[in-house]
Amino acid sequence: MGKHVITMLPGEGTGPEICEAVRRIIDHSGVDITWEYEDIGLDCLDKYGTLLPEKTIKSIAKNKIAIKGPTTTPIGTGHKSANVTLRKMFDLYANVRPAKLIPVLKRPWDKIDILTFRENTEDSYAAIEHMVSNEVAQCLKVITWPGSVRIAEFAFKWAKANGRKKIQCVHKANIMKMTDGLFLEAFREVAKKYPEIEAGDIIVDNCSMQLVRNPAQFDCLVLPNLYGDILSDLCAGLVGGLGFAPGANIGDNCSIFEAVHGSAPKYAGMKKVNPSAVLLSGVMMLRWINEGAAADKIEKGMNKVLAEGKTLTYDAGGTASTDQYADAIIRAMDTV
Amino acid sequence: MLTKATTGRAKRPAKPITLVGVDVYIITEDGIPMFDDYGAFKIEFVSNRGTKVWPGYVSDDLMMVNWYRCRFMATRTVTDADVDTFLTALSKKWKWSAAQKLWNYGDEAGFSKAY
Repeated sequence: MGKHVITMLPGEGTGPEICEAVRRIIDHSGVDITWEYEDIGLDCLDKYGTLLPEKTIKSIAKNKIAIKGPTTTPIGTGHKSANVTLRKMFDLYANVRPAKLIPVLKRPWDKIDILTFRENTEDSYAAIEHMVSNEVAQCLKVITWPGSVRIAEFAFKWAKANGRKKIQCVHKANIMKMTDGLFLEAFREVAKKYPEIEAGDIIVDNCSMQLVRNPAQFDCLVLPNLYGDILSDLCAGLVGGLGFAPGANIGDNCSIFEAVHGSAPKYAGMKKVNPSAVLLSGVMMLRWINEGAAADKIEKGMNKVLAEGKTLTYDAGGTASTDQYADAIIRAMDTV
Repeated sequence: MLTKATTGRAKRPAKPITLVGVDVYIITEDGIPMFDDYGAFKIEFVSNRGTKVWPGYVSDDLMMVNWYRCRFMATRTVTDADVDTFLTALSKKWKWSAAQKLWNYGDEAGFSKAY
């Protein structure tokens, strides 16, 4: 058994080929990991009758840490999202999404280094929806004081530990005075304990506009679930798209690291998709388990391959396969 | 009476509505509520902040607040009067903030499941 036992959830569609490439790269970094492979997603329906089998739940509960490939959530029909189920089941209340400019990817901006902290368990994701007449649907937006305090606490602690200077609470409290008002009140209360970090707030529509006009002005953002879902993707778009967007779902005792993109079923088996988002999620995971040296090695290797520009996947302007890109990173890791 | 409100707007075709249950939002500081037998309505699940906390697996780490959605499904054909009787009985033991009737529209449930 390795030093770390980690549940690997390859997911479906292109997930298995991406996760295999990522596993090879992480193993090459020298970290001692025993991988426990488990099933998740649409492919489980025939086999287990559920998107999230009991065996998978037990593995995550035991290991407390997992890395996950993409899964697909059926739109508008019966099955609940496996992602949201996992976040709720293991109370992974902090969704952390870094959007950092990868120097070699050409973007209109010189500097972007934004961290979004999305509350991951409440808001309109509480799944409390009713058809209250045949013409009227309602969805309860649930914001709680303890839920708001703990995501603010998490963000300030993370910011302090990582030398970040400024945190803004993103809200629409001018309209949703009770729900977003409570979220903002909790943020302000927590901010008092961290005078060394500049705390402010910004209304979500203005924040969206400012993000596309002048993203360099932002440092850390704390958001309720829905705004966090949307704006973290916006931030990903600023730095290169979802192919380079890692994510972490963190609770007090369990964490799941995952790419935020979909499973791209039309490309499944073609080995052409970019594994960088899952790989960078793995880099976040390694730092979370105090394997920073391995994380640095992988990140430098990936940046070197991107800088050389010879072995890129199609979305980054190249023709390399998933495996060729992974092999190039593995070779580069030995030279950085 | 026909008004602009009922004539000058888009209409969604109506389907036959069947009352099949009630979601009751209960406030308690004593943990996951457990219920007596209420005859026409039987507890199906309890959720907290939208996450199912009864029955089934609940993480020890799950943070709960003092507000629980409790889904009661009808055990037989029920009417609005049965809901009134049920809520009156429930009120003797529990403090609740709201109740939402659960309707099927044709064959489709007009309410979401819990995570």
